[in-house]
Amino acid sequence: MRTHFDVFGLKRGYDVDVPALEKQYRELSLQLHPDRVAQASARERVQALEGTTALNEAFKTLKDPVRRAFYLLKLHGIDLDREDAGAQKDMPLEFLEEVMDLREALDTAIAKKDLGRARAMADDVEARKKAALAEAAGALRTLEAGEVADGGQELVRKASHALGRVRYFTRFLEQVDAFEEEIQA
Amino acid sequence: MSKNGYLQIHDPLKPKGQAVGIDLGTTNSLVAAVVKDTPVCVPVDEGDSPLLPSVVHYAQDGGVVVGARAKKLASEHPTDTIASVKRFMGRGPDDAETRKLGHHKFAPGAKVIRFDVAGGTPVTPIEVSGEVLRALKRRAESHFSSKVEQAVITVPAYFDDAQRQATKDAGRLAGLEVLRLLNEPTAAALAYGLDKGSQGTFAVYDLGGGTFDISILKLVDGIFEVKSTSGDSALGGDDFDRAIAQRVLESLGETAPSPALVAEVLAASRKAKEALTDAASVELTAGGKTHTVKREDFDTWIQPFVQKTGTVCRRAMKDAGVAAGEMDGVILVGGATRVPAVRRYVAELFGREPLGDIDPDQVVAMGAAVLANLLTTADRQDDVLLLDVIPLSLGLETMGGIVEKLIQRNSTIPTTAAQVFTTFKDGQTGLDIHVLQGERELVEDNRSLARFTLSGIPPLAAGMARVEVRFQVDADGILSVSAKEQSTGVSQSITVKPSHGLTDEEIEQMLLDSIDHAEDDIQARQVREQRVDAERVLAEADRQLREHGSLLQDGERAAIDAAIAQVQALMKGDDHLKLKEAVHALDEASRPFIERVMNQAITQVVAGHSVEDY
Repeated sequence: MRTHFDVFGLKRGYDVDVPALEKQYRELSLQLHPDRVAQASARERVQALEGTTALNEAFKTLKDPVRRAFYLLKLHGIDLDREDAGAQKDMPLEFLEEVMDLREALDTAIAKKDLGRARAMADDVEARKKAALAEAAGALRTLEAGEVADGGQELVRKASHALGRVRYFTRFLEQVDAFEEEIQA
Repeated sequence: MSKNGYLQIHDPLKPKGQAVGIDLGTTNSLVAAVVKDTPVCVPVDEGDSPLLPSVVHYAQDGGVVVGARAKKLASEHPTDTIASVKRFMGRGPDDAETRKLGHHKFAPGAKVIRFDVAGGTPVTPIEVSGEVLRALKRRAESHFSSKVEQAVITVPAYFDDAQRQATKDAGRLAGLEVLRLLNEPTAAALAYGLDKGSQGTFAVYDLGGGTFDISILKLVDGIFEVKSTSGDSALGGDDFDRAIAQRVLESLGETAPSPALVAEVLAASRKAKEALTDAASVELTAGGKTHTVKREDFDTWIQPFVQKTGTVCRRAMKDAGVAAGEMDGVILVGGATRVPAVRRYVAELFGREPLGDIDPDQVVAMGAAVLANLLTTADRQDDVLLLDVIPLSLGLETMGGIVEKLIQRNSTIPTTAAQVFTTFKDGQTGLDIHVLQGERELVEDNRSLARFTLSGIPPLAAGMARVEVRFQVDADGILSVSAKEQSTGVSQSITVKPSHGLTDEEIEQMLLDSIDHAEDDIQARQVREQRVDAERVLAEADRQLREHGSLLQDGERAAIDAAIAQVQALMKGDDHLKLKEAVHALDEASRPFIERVMNQAITQVVAGHSVEDY
């Protein structure tokens, strides 16, 4: 299977040089984009459309550390984007408690229209998200380096739990943003 | 024929004629093309104006008038004259935008908006826009003495799929191959970027007649990468007009004004708004009374609209991950950015004076012309490329009326995304697919683009059948959806036809009708031209016979008279080819006689007489 890393001719791994990736993206776009072959045959234009679509997808995934981590985990067989993903059901109990506490506190702030409180919570959650992502990144780096015991089962689970938290925190931050926009409007 | 025969002109280097860029605006529309490496707007209306008012008048006799002449007919025939039709593109009769203060009369029933106009059947916004595009195409053709068949048409960046599809259909109706739907702010950046060879991060603030767009772009080495776009497709300079008009109607004590009065007051309000750009206070006459409008009052009335643009700008900057102070330039587009209060607001918001050295009315059409030229250049040597984004997220309805987003807003296009759904009942053989566009969580708060049912799923236990739904968005920002059951490979693919658009069959029929009409038009014009030609020949023959009858030889007179009678008879008919033959026959019959007349004249000049003596 052709991975997003293959599109850019990169070695699969968590660490990506984003400025270099951006430069390469622009160069590849110039070669592949449908606009560059607007007068060519229908077949060439379809190829250009498909090539550019794949390139855009790969670029979007690899330039963003969070998306990149989710993608690597998916390559290890766990797709957190799927609603029926078993991994979601198997989050540790402490995390569920954390979620409920945060949820309750945010609902209170929104009910009171307390933007300051919501923003303060967002800052705290932002830090937790960063820590969770770092944890996932650590596990993924080790996994990608290879030579791990039990075929990497334990590391995959660690990355999966960490990214499950990242996902929840991201949604939380989106809710704060939406609340902020609502207050400003 | 040749002087009017531009339709026949064929430039082998440009088999499809001149490629143009079209700004299909709410208030005015423009057409531009690249001539000698420079984009120029084509004169399209009275006084060689490059602005064609986007106003279409439908006359009682079925005729259609577009532009300044149509605009003048608006107050007399308010319901037969459609203005600002762009506001209605891809919308339904129940949209809030449709119900704003206006003078149009809608035909009842139907899910699609239809304007009730004179001269026959009601017309849809797509047809009205098609008339504007057709007028631009014709005027460009006569300007360039060349066919015009390919165009880049601009749309507000914030147009949703339904609005884009409607615009593309309007292009098809006008007989244009739409090379690309280009986002207006991106077009403006293209016009500026290529002009200045700029690099850096730019904001394009585009406040037109009926739409507001903001785009944040990064320019690096000729590549225009849109980082984010946002907007409000129901906010624009027309709202400023309505803000004045509402106050005027209030002061007239009109609670249920007639369409004619609304049209009159709106037109006067627009003029007042424009005058307030330079004057601190203006007089406005409408409804038989004169009103004074002060700029400071006007500024207060429009403040809510102007501030709304600020909220949208902040969202775009956040999505792009840039701060207001980080811009290398702010570009103003759209006539409404001439309003001083708007300029002040933009300068304050971004902390820098905006650029406005290209005419804000023309910059979008010019950028579109640049792209049209690039897309029709065979061997491209340039490194120019636009990487644009989709303005609104695309998703599917899932259990509980919640939208599951498949493609996030501000994703670079073309793009694709897929989601697998499983059946939820034992033996379920069909799956309803509801496609939505927008940012909200609940289905009813988003724009419904299409609904279809995937049938033929094998009856399995709940959760066993797996259906993959795939979205593909092309470089025009238009969505197609396909669905596939994974175990059997049953698949269905549709190009999303928005609920408020026209079906492909309807478009085809309209296209056929318009081609029929176009043939009628050409036919009628050729008959007219041939008649004029015949009249001229008859008058000439008559004069020569009267003045030089003595030079006729035996039998000549009878042959010439017969040929004249034949021409006169055919002039009453509609067959321009037969008429042309008869004129030719008359020429032939009278040639020896005319040659004798010429010879005699020359002989007499040589003999010392001037031709004038005869």
